[in-house]
Amino acid sequence: MRDDVGGARPALSVEGLTKRYGAFTAVDDLSFTLRAGDILGFLGPNGAGKTTTVRMILGLVVPTAGRINLLGEDDPAKVRDKIGFLPEERGLYRRMTPVQAIGFLASLKGLSTAEGRRRGRELLIAHGMEDVLTRPIKSLSKGMAQKVQILSTLAHGPDLVILDEPFSGLDPANQQALEDLIRGVARDGATVIFSTHVMQHAERLCDQVLLMANGRKVFDGTVEAARTAAPRTLVLEGRFDPAALADLPGIADVSTAPIEDGAVRVILALKKGAPAQDALREAFTKGLDILRFELREPHLHDAFLVLTNGGGGEGEA
Amino acid sequence: MIKLLRIARREYLAYVRTPGFWLSLLLLPVGLSTIVLVPMVMNRSSPTPIVTVVDFTPFGLTAVVRRTLAEHGPGGRPRAIVVPPPEAFPADAAQLRGRLSPYLQGARTLPGGRGLDAAVIIRPAGESVAIDYWSRNVTEGGLEDTVGNAITAQMRRIRLQHLGVDQATLARVDASNPVVNFYSPKAAAGKVSLADRLPGLAGLAMGMLLWMVVLTGAGMLLNSVMEEKTSRIIEVLLSSASVPEIMGGKILGVACVTGTILAFWMSIAAVLLTLRSPDLAGAMAGVFLDHARWAYFALYFLGGYLMFATLYVTIGAFCETSREAQTLLGPMMIIMSIPPLFMSQAIAHPDAPLMRTLSWVPLFTPFMMAARAANEPPLWEVAATAALMFGVTALELWVAVPAFKSGALATGRFDLRLFFTSLARRQAP
Repeated sequence: MRDDVGGARPALSVEGLTKRYGAFTAVDDLSFTLRAGDILGFLGPNGAGKTTTVRMILGLVVPTAGRINLLGEDDPAKVRDKIGFLPEERGLYRRMTPVQAIGFLASLKGLSTAEGRRRGRELLIAHGMEDVLTRPIKSLSKGMAQKVQILSTLAHGPDLVILDEPFSGLDPANQQALEDLIRGVARDGATVIFSTHVMQHAERLCDQVLLMANGRKVFDGTVEAARTAAPRTLVLEGRFDPAALADLPGIADVSTAPIEDGAVRVILALKKGAPAQDALREAFTKGLDILRFELREPHLHDAFLVLTNGGGGEGEA
Repeated sequence: MIKLLRIARREYLAYVRTPGFWLSLLLLPVGLSTIVLVPMVMNRSSPTPIVTVVDFTPFGLTAVVRRTLAEHGPGGRPRAIVVPPPEAFPADAAQLRGRLSPYLQGARTLPGGRGLDAAVIIRPAGESVAIDYWSRNVTEGGLEDTVGNAITAQMRRIRLQHLGVDQATLARVDASNPVVNFYSPKAAAGKVSLADRLPGLAGLAMGMLLWMVVLTGAGMLLNSVMEEKTSRIIEVLLSSASVPEIMGGKILGVACVTGTILAFWMSIAAVLLTLRSPDLAGAMAGVFLDHARWAYFALYFLGGYLMFATLYVTIGAFCETSREAQTLLGPMMIIMSIPPLFMSQAIAHPDAPLMRTLSWVPLFTPFMMAARAANEPPLWEVAATAALMFGVTALELWVAVPAFKSGALATGRFDLRLFFTSLARRQAP
């Protein structure tokens, strides 16, 4: 858990959060803290308990046990107007125009309808959607409609933005645009929580990642710290017998895959803290016919697989 | 409260912008105009029937039929034009029918080119007469009765004259029909008039109006919540406003939609009534103003609408498809079919034990009490049934608020167990 909130009041503090449905425990004793202005990636396989946790943070679901402090309040209902929320499966009022939809949702967050519409218009223009201001949402493409909904979570200038799988359904260009948008929101001082299955987004965006599996927290910290959960790997390609690599120093695991021209690719998982040079030097000392070698630093995806025992999950809770 | 009003405003505008709203708005005026104008136009555009009369009796009944059919019917025109037979007729009635048949079938026409619409053949039958009424159109109705009544009355007079009754006595007998006056202690002037019957009719109208509002509002509320649940907007709403604000906003918004339609309909009706019959319009206004009946109707209208609307909003939160909604609406529709059966009876028998008992069943209270308004139920009964109705509504809201959240956040197919569990436990997921 990251407690280094630097003396400033955290945007979100969760302690011992638990939710049970009869005998089934959807979220089990979850605790974490999120610094104001940070971006938190909420990661986990299906059924990990992400959506239930988000709903508890928003006050939509009552926890069985535990405490939530959101923007300085113990009752999420008191800070509703300071939160922007994008649910996982999205839709908007189909007959409304983007400006009307954003204006209406912003008006439920404390702005006047006119002010909400003005901000909606500004946001839409700023994100290259000036052509669709007055078109009904049902006439927009799926990507466009999703952008409108994402912007609707921001029009009221929230202190905390919660985005449930915001990248799903967006094409690569719009995914990049959304990444820029999230960075911009955080730069403007808001705290962002987003859940995703795509590790690359979390890797590029997050100050902090929280990984859940089977309702329990399995990791909470920086992306760099998460990566250390997975081993570094040394990749060797050439024409040699992979069995000759088994006794190399600092090797935890060996896996092999054939490649063209009778060569093999061997992936050597290094033990924690073991230098790759020792294993590489020993391989060359043995006179193996090595055509290519590469030291790979672990990605968040590797850490995800390790921490979640392969990333398997159940139905979403 | 401001969020409730904003949700209501969105709900209202969402419906007002649909073609269905404008069609509903025009439905009654167009429907009423059709009902009133079509028969009028039909009457004016249809030619007056041409009838011929052949009298084989010695009583001179042709003149009686001609005089009767020349009287003004609907639209101010003669009921029929009596013309002489198109050709010399034989003395035998059966042969005559054969002669007239081509005219009635349209194979032959009368002088001037018009067809014969009907033929009345009057022949002796013992001491009385028999009337054969032949018509071009088997579904044509009315004329044969008119002809039959006129001849019956004339035969009665002839028979009485044969028995020695003089003309003056006959005239006195004709004028001796009793005048029936209807009195009631509840009538304003003792004698019952239309004005005295208006409260009963107004009560029935208000009950039926509430019934219509509940039915139309139910569809709107269900669809609105289902749409928001399917698109997950409901989650955004739940993260922005409280459940009572969301439910209240929806109920108020739909109430305003139906209220707009009703206000428009009633304005049209009031203007037409004032133009056509100012006295009746004044009497109608008096019905609502006397004894603060407007407050009485408003009380039950408000309670009834709130009670049913809460139920429908909650049901909608558990449904993602109209098929699921139909499953839940089935029992409700059966319940809703009961009030109209009894409301019309409540005018004639407002204090019948069954009517009074039904008034105490909260789901039927607003309809039955509205229909019983004319009989002015005792104040204690009004207060008690209203308290029970609002009490049940409050209980319903108490249960429905967490159940609404539970249903709105649930995904997948409608789960009957979850529905009843949520209601019973008052528990969101």
